[in-house]
Amino acid sequence: MTDPDLETERPRLSLGTAAARNLATTTKSVPQMQGITSRWLLKILPWVEAKGGAFRVNRRLSYEIGDGRLTFTNIGADVRVVPQELTELALLRGYEDVEALSALADRFTQHEYEPGAVIVEEGRPQNAVYLIAHGKVNKIGQGEYGDQTVLGTLADGEHFGGDVLAGPQGEWEFTIKAVTPVIALVLPWETFEQLNGEAGGLRAHIQRMLAAGGGKSNAYGEAEIDIASGHEGEPDLPGTYVDYEVAPRELELSVAQTVLRIHSRVADLYNQPMDQVEQQLRLTIEALRERQEHEMVNNRDFGLLNSADLKQRIHTRTGPPTPDDMDDLLATVWKEPTAFLAHPRTIAAFGRECSKRGIYPSTIDLNGHHVPAWRGVPVLPCNKIPVTRTRTSSIMLLRAGEQNQGVIGLHQTGLPDEYQPGLNVRFMGINEKAIISYLVSAYYSTAILVPDAIGVLEHVELGRED
Amino acid sequence: MTVTDPDLVPDEAEQHRHSLSTAAARNLASTTKSTPQMQGISPRWLLRKLPWVATQAGTYRVNRRLTYALGDGRVSFTSTGADIRVIPQELRELPVLRDFPEDDVLVALADRFRQREFQPGDVLVSAGDRAEEVYLVAHGKVNKLGQGKYGDQTVLDTLADGDHFGDEVMYGDEVEWEFTVKALTPVIALVLSWRDVQELNGRAEALRAHVDAYARTSGKPQNKHGEAAIEIASGHEGEPDLPATYVDYELSPREYELEVAQTVLRVHSRVADLYNHPMNQTEQQLRLTIEALRERQEHEMINNRRIGLLHNADLKQRIHTRTGPPTPDDLDELVSRRRKTAFMLAHPRAIAAFGREASKRGLYPGTANVDGTQVVTWRGIPLLPSNKIPISPQGTTSILAMRVGEQDNGVIGLHQPGIPDEVQPSLNARFMGIDEKAIVSYLVSAYFSVAVMVPDALGILEHVEIGRS
Repeated sequence: MTDPDLETERPRLSLGTAAARNLATTTKSVPQMQGITSRWLLKILPWVEAKGGAFRVNRRLSYEIGDGRLTFTNIGADVRVVPQELTELALLRGYEDVEALSALADRFTQHEYEPGAVIVEEGRPQNAVYLIAHGKVNKIGQGEYGDQTVLGTLADGEHFGGDVLAGPQGEWEFTIKAVTPVIALVLPWETFEQLNGEAGGLRAHIQRMLAAGGGKSNAYGEAEIDIASGHEGEPDLPGTYVDYEVAPRELELSVAQTVLRIHSRVADLYNQPMDQVEQQLRLTIEALRERQEHEMVNNRDFGLLNSADLKQRIHTRTGPPTPDDMDDLLATVWKEPTAFLAHPRTIAAFGRECSKRGIYPSTIDLNGHHVPAWRGVPVLPCNKIPVTRTRTSSIMLLRAGEQNQGVIGLHQTGLPDEYQPGLNVRFMGINEKAIISYLVSAYYSTAILVPDAIGVLEHVELGRED
Repeated sequence: MTVTDPDLVPDEAEQHRHSLSTAAARNLASTTKSTPQMQGISPRWLLRKLPWVATQAGTYRVNRRLTYALGDGRVSFTSTGADIRVIPQELRELPVLRDFPEDDVLVALADRFRQREFQPGDVLVSAGDRAEEVYLVAHGKVNKLGQGKYGDQTVLDTLADGDHFGDEVMYGDEVEWEFTVKALTPVIALVLSWRDVQELNGRAEALRAHVDAYARTSGKPQNKHGEAAIEIASGHEGEPDLPATYVDYELSPREYELEVAQTVLRVHSRVADLYNHPMNQTEQQLRLTIEALRERQEHEMINNRRIGLLHNADLKQRIHTRTGPPTPDDLDELVSRRRKTAFMLAHPRAIAAFGREASKRGLYPGTANVDGTQVVTWRGIPLLPSNKIPISPQGTTSILAMRVGEQDNGVIGLHQPGIPDEVQPSLNARFMGIDEKAIVSYLVSAYFSVAVMVPDALGILEHVEIGRS
């Protein structure tokens, strides 16, 4: 008969592990942190020294050709364009009379279209300005053999028919068809004409913009370098010089900082086997670097998502990130692209689309890691790219490097009390509660040397039902 | 786009400042500056991947074997509204009418062409019917179908704008169509009936004589490329007479003169003298001007009417897409036309369109590392991007495929290094003088050309539709 209770009562013949642990030293891990990511953006960007704390991007003079995007406000279902934003229309650029712009904004009427609806039709008289407040439309032209061909996709904030402000134009040269439900604001020429009676300044401004036209420029809007070629004999050669932007963009190093506090008793005594200050610092620095990557993607001033040129932003055709969209994105940064950056969930959605078509993209080896690639360009995960509540995100494609006029990271090395390149830890003092403070600062910025160094695929839907 | 007023934030902060602001500090610090950036710089793959052959005195002669011109040229058309008319002189592109001297006969002939329109799927001519008309395809694409070995239909060829068929009718013999021609797209064709030719032949003796002469001379021994044959005996037994032969050359071979792209760069002497730290102003001006010249050079090497690759491809080496977009099938067809295709050159958007077609079929083309850049390949041949290949307003473009190198009878770039005041190979900047406004002028010239050694070194896939449907 064995009684389990009795058995435990039996006197031990040797030392128990619980007691033994009192003599032994526990092996401890350093403090772990979930928020550490691979921070590919910081790894692939080349870091350029900004000695005086600022970096100036000198470019060739370019004439503004780009039409910007407009923003809208809505009260309930009523959508209204922000009056000042109307200056993004090419003919209204630089116009400052807010009252006239408000009057103009009031005249826009709201129209709604269902998917598949034709908004304007090729060949019909062009007599209204259209602003797309929400939704996606296809611009359709005629192909070589009379069939239809999609010239481009327009979405939220874009507009067409802006030339109508100068008077009714000929005929629409393209058809616009809604892909999703679309809310558009429309200003017919007749309405605008009535307004002109009230605001003469507006008309004068439009005439000025029409007359100015801008200087001779190349396909990128840069002031032309005159060159003669293919000539024979002795024609007059063009004299030329390369004009620069007079007020180039200057980027100041941005800062991410924090004050790290540690009690002197902790710092003095509890340092075996790990230095407490060092561990505190290590985790703080990891958090700062995460923040740095976040800012480099999202900052309103210099963040890559916000500084990408409007011409370099494209929309998905249907919603989810398809191989076709990725090919289109590659065509925007076709000069030696370095890497795609996308949210891990976007990469998963892209993988789904590939599998659906029976495609298996190759992987490549990048710094010893196997990463997925598309057309040989690595697709790197970056969880700093925001995913909206409606499950849409963006994919960035960038060219890195200073020599090939790409995207660069800016920092300054040789800081006082430097701890890592571009990051320093300064002793602030000990206060009367015996708390030691350190100021930890990371200085960084990014610069896009020429606009076509970065492309963004927008409105990528991640969780669409099939 | 939201407007945030940047002035407001520092103002508020100003009130609480206890130390020097960064804005003030920047007045003491020196800004790190980039060299001037330029958007127009492209990788210029064509210039990088072509082997450059040095000329000695500005010209390069491509000697070839004697070729009996058999090329069927392309005919051009004029259109007034919907009325399309063939340009009479262009009728000389029909082999029968080559070198025919009398313009008025050609005008009369052109007048007799009648315009006909076909819908996709319509049959223009069918095999076995009596051939009694000459067809010129003014616009659209047609398939030439033959009978396969086991009775099925097989696509012999695709014809498009400017192509023609049925010119055998001009000989006046009674023949039957050996193939069926079917419209792929809406087609506008110009048709000349045999009867009209007969009527005209009655009036214009010169034309009849010319046609007869053509029929007599077209029988010279030649190989399939039209080169005068080299007689060779093989597989014989016994002691037959061996053929004696010689290799004939073209008597007036094509000479390529180096083209020039040049400009006068002007720098004010005050700028050049003073503002040179940290970057030399003249050097930066020169650097950007050279970049622009090199871009222009690539543009000319593709588009120039005399030397440009798009205009110098042999007509037999120009093929059309089967359906419209650039499919893997079309690229297979393109690379099958020559040995050792080194690379293909396409507009980035054409490459994207090709990627779409590949994805649609569930194919993932391989990639290759070319000079450190990953590029898409097809059958191991890199597909290099170049934005110099034009895209028409209808969204069509071309894809070039070429074999390169002098040894391989391919495409070569021509230049002349060692010129005076050379800055880069075959590009010089010569000091022109300083004028009375103190402006320093430099003459910057780039000399270049490109030669196709034998016609099959260069092929073009035309009518590539990149718009998506």
